[in-house]
Amino acid sequence: MTSLSAISSTLFSLKAVYALTGLVLFVFAALNLRDRSNKNRIGTALFWFTLGVVFAFGSMMQTWVVGLLVLLLVAIDGAGRVSRGGDADKVTKSGQVQAETNSIGNRIFLPALFIPFVTFAFAIVFRLLGLNTNDGALVGLGYSGIVALLAGLVLTGGTLDQAFHEGRRLNDAMGTVNILPALLASLGVIFTASKIGDLIAQGIQHIIPGQNLFLLIAANCLGMALFTMVMGNSFAAFPVIAAGVLVPLIIKPFGVNPAMVAIVTLTAGSTGTLMTPMAANFNIVPTALLEMRDQYGVIKFQTPFALAIWTMHVLTMWLMIRVAS
Amino acid sequence: MHIPEFLKLTGIAIVVVGLALRLRTTMVVVVAGIVTGLLAGLPLFTNQGVFQGLPYLTQAGSQEGIINMLGRAFSDNRLMTLFILTLPAIGLAERYGLQEQAARFIRRFKAATAGALCIMYQLFRVLMGIMGIRLNGHPAFVRPLVFPMTLGAAEAMARTRTVEALPEKTIEDIKAANSASENYGNFYGQNLSPVLPGILLVYGVMKGLGYTVSVWSLVLYAIPIATLSVIIAALQFRLFDRKETKRLAAKTQEPG
Repeated sequence: MTSLSAISSTLFSLKAVYALTGLVLFVFAALNLRDRSNKNRIGTALFWFTLGVVFAFGSMMQTWVVGLLVLLLVAIDGAGRVSRGGDADKVTKSGQVQAETNSIGNRIFLPALFIPFVTFAFAIVFRLLGLNTNDGALVGLGYSGIVALLAGLVLTGGTLDQAFHEGRRLNDAMGTVNILPALLASLGVIFTASKIGDLIAQGIQHIIPGQNLFLLIAANCLGMALFTMVMGNSFAAFPVIAAGVLVPLIIKPFGVNPAMVAIVTLTAGSTGTLMTPMAANFNIVPTALLEMRDQYGVIKFQTPFALAIWTMHVLTMWLMIRVAS
Repeated sequence: MHIPEFLKLTGIAIVVVGLALRLRTTMVVVVAGIVTGLLAGLPLFTNQGVFQGLPYLTQAGSQEGIINMLGRAFSDNRLMTLFILTLPAIGLAERYGLQEQAARFIRRFKAATAGALCIMYQLFRVLMGIMGIRLNGHPAFVRPLVFPMTLGAAEAMARTRTVEALPEKTIEDIKAANSASENYGNFYGQNLSPVLPGILLVYGVMKGLGYTVSVWSLVLYAIPIATLSVIIAALQFRLFDRKETKRLAAKTQEPG
């Protein structure tokens, strides 16, 4: 019996899910390697293969080996050797695949719906077993992909081969941006070790006297929005502001619940995204898609909304802290 | 050698300038990290194993090296890329018409005004966020579907049946409003699911800073702002309707 529980605890662990992700990446790499329509097929395959190695074996390797592999990933991308293959031809102008005609109807949403459902179910089971619900959610996210895939195969009568080809198409379409959140989180770790946060915190304390919670919250949300506007990316701004303002000036001195203020800080960045041409994908590309006269038309429309919701961020964060304490 | 404190901020400057120059984001981020670490006086590698005692690359003591840190942090944050496991399932569903079915769903929206249609689309987008579905909304839905439908609603408001009868300003305003409703719904809706990258990024960064938070509580605390975003947008689209109604009325009174 012990072996059974040992098997299940290995099978339903983060390590197993990472190993499965590694396998999927190996398949994507192989499909890219075979695709002669991709002029960078070797670089592209090497990129996804290396990421697969980091996924599958990351926990077993020395950290410096993983670090060098990450540098390799970035070097391949930096040299412009990662691109998408000819599968992109199958995609219509609007970004949709030519669907096979069928009578599946709304049931086509079922596989996608399995993803949050299974994720949630795993978290609940982990909680009932007295395990970490965060791990439950992440393990669940991994297995939800498999459950959704099985459901999709049964529902559509499609093949595993089709599923991996389509999965690879989606993965290629996202491209190297896939590793950006993990890289940004690593940047945050290096910033913390370099004590960048303390430096920014000292600077802000020069401007804001004493321990005025409301002003510090305003500075936190303003810093996040401004940084996002400059970088065009709230994900890039978050590690800097979290290390420099949120943790040293709000969470630590006031003993605030970190979850409560962290997510509101991230969306304070989204208000910045609404007002910046640097976030071209969201604000400039649509004006081209819709053939607008004014390149900044979308930003102009969004600005009053962004200012209003930014104010709400400051008030919401302040109120939540006040109510909780 | 003593390096002035403020020089450590060079890393942030590299990120800002690098992204402004549209250099590869991955490259910019890693270079910024390494430069920051070096300026802070951190070694490249930890002083152990094969690197023990190597000059320049390591320092005496147990200070973790930058490359080790990069590997450890990236490894710890693999969870942010776990969604790759869901791609075959989503891809298969797309092949068998997921997007077309979503489009059919949107086409059923019956809205009396242009603004009402925008808020309905935003709610649809928030719903997709709750379900953890990623969409490239501008090309997939806004341009081919929501924009023509909103034009239709505006024609009804103007009691006309042709796009030509609509003032050009109205058409331009509709384009902006449509794009905005996609962005509002996407930005504030995506944090309502623990499988989308916003929540996972916050979880990972906070963990790196020494605070382990629950992904579910992050979702919980995202709800107030998501709700406010819908309310404020509804107000904005309401005002938008009022403005366009006035403009369309003025247009029909014009002679000829």
